[in-house]
Amino acid sequence: MISVDALSYRFQGSEQYALRDLSLEIEPGEFLVVTGPSGCGKSTLALALGGYLFRQFEGQAQGTVRVDGMDVRDSPIYDVAEFVGLVQQNPEAQFCTLTVGDEVAFGLENRCLPRTEIRERMGWALSIVGAEHLVGRTLNTLSGGEKQKVAIAAMMAAKPEVLIFDEPTSNLDPSATAEIFGVIEHIRQKAAITVIVIEHKVNYLRRFCPRLVQMRDGRIARDTPMPTSGNGQQPAGTVFSSYHTGNPAAPIVQVEGLQAGYGGEPVLRDLSLEVRPGEFVVVMGDNGSGKSTFLHCLLGLRQPVEGRVEVLGHDTRRVPVSQIARKVGFVFQNPDHQLFADSVWDEAVFAARNFGTLDRAAEARTGDLLARCGLGDRLDDHPYRLSYGQKRRLNMVSVLSYAPRLILLDEVLIGQDPENAAFVLDLLREHVAGGGAVIVVSHAPQITNRYASRLLFFEEGRIVVDAPTDEAVMQLEALGKDAYVP
Amino acid sequence: MSPRHTTSRVARIAYHPGDSFLHRLHPLTKGAWLLLGTVLVFVARSPWAVSGAVALLLTGFPVAGMGLSRARGTRLFISTALLLGLLQVLFVREGKMLVAWGPLAVTAGGVEQGIYVAGRFLSVILLSYLFVLTTEPNDLAYALMRAGLPYRYGFALITALRLVPTFEHEGQVVYNAQIARGVRYDVRSPRRFLTLARQFVLPLLVSALGKVDALAVSMEGRAFGKYPTRTFLREVRATWRDVAALGALVLLIAASSVWLVTAT
Repeated sequence: MISVDALSYRFQGSEQYALRDLSLEIEPGEFLVVTGPSGCGKSTLALALGGYLFRQFEGQAQGTVRVDGMDVRDSPIYDVAEFVGLVQQNPEAQFCTLTVGDEVAFGLENRCLPRTEIRERMGWALSIVGAEHLVGRTLNTLSGGEKQKVAIAAMMAAKPEVLIFDEPTSNLDPSATAEIFGVIEHIRQKAAITVIVIEHKVNYLRRFCPRLVQMRDGRIARDTPMPTSGNGQQPAGTVFSSYHTGNPAAPIVQVEGLQAGYGGEPVLRDLSLEVRPGEFVVVMGDNGSGKSTFLHCLLGLRQPVEGRVEVLGHDTRRVPVSQIARKVGFVFQNPDHQLFADSVWDEAVFAARNFGTLDRAAEARTGDLLARCGLGDRLDDHPYRLSYGQKRRLNMVSVLSYAPRLILLDEVLIGQDPENAAFVLDLLREHVAGGGAVIVVSHAPQITNRYASRLLFFEEGRIVVDAPTDEAVMQLEALGKDAYVP
Repeated sequence: MSPRHTTSRVARIAYHPGDSFLHRLHPLTKGAWLLLGTVLVFVARSPWAVSGAVALLLTGFPVAGMGLSRARGTRLFISTALLLGLLQVLFVREGKMLVAWGPLAVTAGGVEQGIYVAGRFLSVILLSYLFVLTTEPNDLAYALMRAGLPYRYGFALITALRLVPTFEHEGQVVYNAQIARGVRYDVRSPRRFLTLARQFVLPLLVSALGKVDALAVSMEGRAFGKYPTRTFLREVRATWRDVAALGALVLLIAASSVWLVTAT
């Protein structure tokens, strides 16, 4: 079905090969999971199998890729697309229309199929992903999981023989993640097609017993049936517990009766809590449950409608954000949204300079951090030349450089391989051990539970679980939130 | 990430969902009214006709199931229309003198000219608002493609519609990230302004380029551009409403033509 022979590829402007002499045979009906650290070439392989790499990107290629006997390198994408469908990471980024019906029909209309056949295929594709009820809805009213179902249906409608999923759940919460993996297995059984899933979260896929291909540095490092237990990918580290119910230190965060929202629509309802030095708090909950809004309230980016938020003694309604930001670091989800300077060094000290705290000690601290992050020899490079994982490390350094007491992080582990995630989390653990506090919104319970001392679970704007991690996990089990239990 | 809140903010100045007579008209019928209605109020040769057009368009709002307040900036455009009219009344001196008070003089010709200018301005604004508030932009794009607009242009319009709320949301995220890193929006010099603009635009530009790549993969992977034409699942048919609305438009044009011919 798919035959890759000695494929090498280098993107224009890059010194390193993204794929190196890679060979791979995939039989019809196989279920393949491709995993490996960020930047190892997984997504590039997916683009190669669909033919996009050779048509839409500038670069240098050697080797061959054949799908069902067709030479992918010499074929137009729309011919390859008759056999291979690619579902990308972010469902929103791949939508071409504004409604569910238009989106699923899009590829069929482009193929000039008659209306009756489009209608028939659309019904089949939506039913195989369990989304028939969504027809007629506009895309921006759907949840993340629903959007990804529609994106899958839009590809399935063309009845491809191979469907590739490139980290299809990286933007989803654990409930939706489990649902989407269930959909993928259902498709494989019902439609009898070859499925290739590129994924960090291999534990979710273990029960389907797929073939596991592990990549590293553009090569295939291992190619085996997936073991049914233990993958050796958990980060090293011990469970760190520092939840202090009787902690005598003054609280860093005090929230009382907080209500907040957007345009009169309440998102947070009656929240009260305290966070003290030495706490590593992980915040979980379905998308839209108010987690990000909660972080915004702590920095003063959003004001309470009712109640009070005090951070390091500052009432967020009385003190400007610029003053609170000196003591509170905020790392946002997308690394690209928070790179502002022209070199790695300038970016690392960007905030410290703005706050006027860049003294020799801060420079030395920043230099050490950059060296630890493997960026010591990239100081003059433009931040946008770094890999995704390196950008994330740089975001961390630019916050740690001005030594804030509290660090807030919003979904920073998305798209990070376990190794990079563990590195970031280790930096945070050191911060907490030094008397700071961390509040991280994360959908990665299997990683965060090894670091967090306390877990908050949000549901519809309320905190329904607030306890030391071990106890909180038991409470989540009792509430039936199995997808969040590691 | 959810641009839900930002889209609702955009929706206030754009399409307002509904099920009224105007909402259910074919987008091209409304397009014809917008275009030809504008021409009609400009060729009208009677202040009564222009006033009638404004009155007719004002009744369009209750017909569309919404108040005039739905049109944002109501006060601004009404006061602009009154100001434009008043200037004509005060400075145009033609025909019979109606009021003379020191240097101020109001003539019949000035009043007539004032009604023309204010009425035409209001008519164009109201027509545009009624069109935008009752026409789903996506439906308009599909209708234009069905009417012969090359589908590549149609989907360029749809992509723009889709990305506006996304970029609005991302702009807010970048701004928040800057504030969190101590950026102060104090524009003391043109150089400082350029630095701030670059720091704000660059992350958005990088994000946009990533989106273009993802979208290109998604479109080509679904055979976009395979054929010079494409089929459409949507069936947008003209109904009795369109016949009635277009009939009324034709009658208005005929009446105006007769009036113009007989008047000259």
